[in-house]
Amino acid sequence: MIRLKNVHKAFGNNAVLNGVDLHVPKGESMVIIGGSGTGKSVTLKCILGLVKPDIGTITVADKDIKDGDRDALLSRFGMLFQGGALFDSMPVWQNIAFRLIQSGVSTDEARALAIEKLRRVGLKPDVANRFPAELSGGMQKRVGLARAIAADPEIIFFDEPTTGLDPIMAGVINDLIREIVVEMGATAMTITHDMSSVRAIADRVAMLHDGTIKWTGTVTEMDTTGDPYVHQFINGLSEGPIAAIR
Amino acid sequence: MIRSATSLLGSTGRAVLNAIGAIGAVALFAAQTIGQIARPPFYWREFVSACITIGYFSLPVVGLTALFTGGALALQIYAGGARFNAEAVVPSIVAIGMVRELGPVLGGLMVAARVASSIAAEIGTMKVTEQIDALVTLSTNPMKYLTVPRVLAATLTVPVLVLIGDIIGIMGGYLVGTSRLGFNAAAYLQNTADFLEFWDIASGLVKGAVFGFIVALMGCYFGMTSGRGAQGVGAATKAAVVAASVLILAANYILTEAFFTA
Repeated sequence: MIRLKNVHKAFGNNAVLNGVDLHVPKGESMVIIGGSGTGKSVTLKCILGLVKPDIGTITVADKDIKDGDRDALLSRFGMLFQGGALFDSMPVWQNIAFRLIQSGVSTDEARALAIEKLRRVGLKPDVANRFPAELSGGMQKRVGLARAIAADPEIIFFDEPTTGLDPIMAGVINDLIREIVVEMGATAMTITHDMSSVRAIADRVAMLHDGTIKWTGTVTEMDTTGDPYVHQFINGLSEGPIAAIR
Repeated sequence: MIRSATSLLGSTGRAVLNAIGAIGAVALFAAQTIGQIARPPFYWREFVSACITIGYFSLPVVGLTALFTGGALALQIYAGGARFNAEAVVPSIVAIGMVRELGPVLGGLMVAARVASSIAAEIGTMKVTEQIDALVTLSTNPMKYLTVPRVLAATLTVPVLVLIGDIIGIMGGYLVGTSRLGFNAAAYLQNTADFLEFWDIASGLVKGAVFGFIVALMGCYFGMTSGRGAQGVGAATKAAVVAASVLILAANYILTEAFFTA
């Protein structure tokens, strides 16, 4: 479904991606792990076209993302941003139904769909009229999730879905993500360094370090692998090939 | 000695290159904005909202500025005119001064202070909180959704603000002229009407449209290119107001040269 081949990206002298090769088959939930500043977010942004790779190709359903209609490509994606990225000038229901409103769906229909998606993520309909600033962090994540799934996308990206949440709310969000991805049959890509998220969400895991994929495998393989990068990362060790001070 | 001279030359060169780069980036941004205006989709709701925010909500500040400026102008012209027995020119000079220069320039500067800052802060905050990235992932072009409605709204509403400011400014001169300087009310208004020509008013409105374009463009440009965090948004806001104000004054000189020296 999504394939990255030899993707490089540098910002000035700072080379962030140094030849990323990754394949995410259709319907699979891939989680990319790695320390802060290793290029996880940049990888997602390259796939979405928010950042242009310097070298390499990215294909979605065997089509290069540089070719064809960009809007048509983006309509296949839903994304949950790390901070929610909710539009604070509009109420929750308009945030969720944003894409539908822009595509000409009537206000009543868009609102009804937004409330349905709110219910799906465990929020009451009265949240629909509130503004993002009036919501807690956990509620904002749920609204962001509702917006990501509002148009029933084929591919959903989750950028640090549990950052800033307490362990219980993080567990709720992880469970919701897993349920929704399975229920929709969507292809999912998640970036996180929260190991509880990895175990709850992932079919497969990829370890990104120094701008390259160091290892890929299932969650079970992750726990038993002898790869020093994965071993150090999942066990939170200060000693190992990953420098503690970066 | 040689080293410090080389260093000075180097830093001057870098500053010049940066300035040229910035001018090029703003020009490109302006061209992209204009290029997007005619292309669908057009976001009417955003446009109407921007008209209200930029136009309607700027009325009090523009009106008050014009009122006090018109009054002060009447006092100054009366005092200056008294030196060569030309006090009678107060109504005509207040009117011409307001509609040609002070109405559009002060109106533009007040809108720059109020609107360029708020646009830059709003869009800058949207950028640092990934709301602009979210727009893209929702198949919405940020340039079309955020920049075009604001630039178009400012270009269309600032001339209206200038016109209202002109009227209020002339009324400010009238109030001072009739209450403090002893002018006859009917004669003051008659003098104002006799000396004002259509082009005096129209040139001010054209200036207003250009200044409105500059204000919104600077707000959007610096918002879209804002740095990270609160400091980045603060710097973008300051830069938007400073750039808009300087460009308004520069554009005013160029337009005045073009309109009135041929």
